[in-house]
Amino acid sequence: MLYKIKKLVKQYDGRKVLDIESLNIKKGSVYGLLGPNGAGKTTLLEILAFILKADEGEFYFNNNPVQYKNSDLLKFRKKVVLVQQHPILFTTSVYRNIEFPLKIRKVPKPKRDKTVKELLEMVDMSSFGSAAGNTLSGGETQRAAIAQALACFPDVILLDEPTSSVDIENRAGIENIIRKINREKGITVLFTSHDMLQSSRISDEIIYVNNGRICGSIHENIFSGKAVKNGNEVFVKVYDNILIPLDTERKGQVRISVDPLRIDIKRESAEKKSGMFQARGNIVQLADADDKIRITVDIDISLSILMNKTLFLKSGLSIGNEVTVECPCESIQIL
Amino acid sequence: MPFIFDSLKSAILLIFSLDRELLDVISVSLRVSILSTLAAGITGIPMGLFISMKEFAAKRFVITILNTLLAIPTVVVALIVYTFISRKGMLGSFNLLYTQTAIIIGQVILIIPILATYTVSAISRIDDRYRKTSLTLGASGFQTALVIMREARFSLVAAVIIAFGRVIAEVGISMMLGGNAKGFTRTMTTAMALEYDKGEFVLSVALGIVLLLISFFVNIILNYFQGKSRV
Repeated sequence: MLYKIKKLVKQYDGRKVLDIESLNIKKGSVYGLLGPNGAGKTTLLEILAFILKADEGEFYFNNNPVQYKNSDLLKFRKKVVLVQQHPILFTTSVYRNIEFPLKIRKVPKPKRDKTVKELLEMVDMSSFGSAAGNTLSGGETQRAAIAQALACFPDVILLDEPTSSVDIENRAGIENIIRKINREKGITVLFTSHDMLQSSRISDEIIYVNNGRICGSIHENIFSGKAVKNGNEVFVKVYDNILIPLDTERKGQVRISVDPLRIDIKRESAEKKSGMFQARGNIVQLADADDKIRITVDIDISLSILMNKTLFLKSGLSIGNEVTVECPCESIQIL
Repeated sequence: MPFIFDSLKSAILLIFSLDRELLDVISVSLRVSILSTLAAGITGIPMGLFISMKEFAAKRFVITILNTLLAIPTVVVALIVYTFISRKGMLGSFNLLYTQTAIIIGQVILIIPILATYTVSAISRIDDRYRKTSLTLGASGFQTALVIMREARFSLVAAVIIAFGRVIAEVGISMMLGGNAKGFTRTMTTAMALEYDKGEFVLSVALGIVLLLISFFVNIILNYFQGKSRV
């Protein structure tokens, strides 16, 4: 086992930001760390990268206990590299940035030149060697940072939201690089994301993180709005124009999650029913999700629905179809 | 008014004639100031780096003390150093009083707080992602400190220039610890004070012009580096 964690706790000003009962990471796999903003994903990555100290718990790396001694940390850090959510390159050329980890590992100059050239090619940035690191775009910086990380010849690469600040074209490129470094170099990859589709596409295993804990699944279709009473019913007003019925007495600002497995989807319009959330919209995305199909419907907000594959094939639904989505208010959970 | 213009004219002629006494005074001033700035840089910059990168109990207190020392009068520094290096002092046997070394010691003490506080300030403005990036790429604590210093290089050079400006223009330490001995410890500022006392304004004005030119030149370099640090 590459990482073995038990009862790990990290606190900031007395507030627990991570409280992990148990987590095991195997060698050679791609893991997606999925969770909403503020779930503790970045903190977990920084602990796994040995640049942040956990307050409590047992932590093993390659079966060695992590005791935060400076000599051990340096040894561990040489095996693990973290690419931050918004990576920063040193204010020198891209070439020198990638050369830096090789230099501190005392790699001879001819080998350094060869490695930097190969890595620039791998991330499709061969012509950027002499460019200044601080003049690159978000996507270019991300790719250069991945090349810099690969120059460490790591056992593990940790990527914090690797595609959050890049456009669609660069996103696909970075996803390809992640697959490539895992398949061709056998490097274990852990990346954080809040994109379920992306995580399913790239990772062998998904770890769900919420409120600093590892959980079995994750809430989807999370919306914030104001709970308002209309007659006998309570609704959550999302973006001023969408009313979602709620089985609660609560008032004021709430966060809700709509279970994607309990949303019905049909082509025809439905009659208004009390205690049901109903809306019309268009299918904008279809994606494979193991034994199900993930359907994204635009009802002024993006709603994710999981449908059994057999049922989906029978339904004949396709992108662009106008559909009705409905779900009972019991399937809507207040977070 | 004619008196001022006459002094100014004679001073300019003295500068262009490359007067021996004038050159001696300038050379002593530059030598002492450059050496004290270098010595203080070697001490003050790592001190500032340590204070900004390490977490310790008295950190805020140390920064407050350094900030207080920024305003210390040169005569107070001179007095403290004098008590140590005078014949009766702890270091009296080294015969340092009225030497260039004594001036350098005093000036180093004067500008270490400047260099340390400016370094703390420069490092605090450096994005923490540089530290994290360097550590995760496998750099040691020392290598990471070098990376951060490199990123703060323009601000650090500016701090060194400010410190140099402070020592080249000070008079208290040079006068009290150097003794204003002609050809040995006479600096531009002490020579100006002496010439003023003698009523000899020409050399005084000439030295004033040179000092202003040096200050102007130093400020041009400072502006260049401050501009770079904002890029």
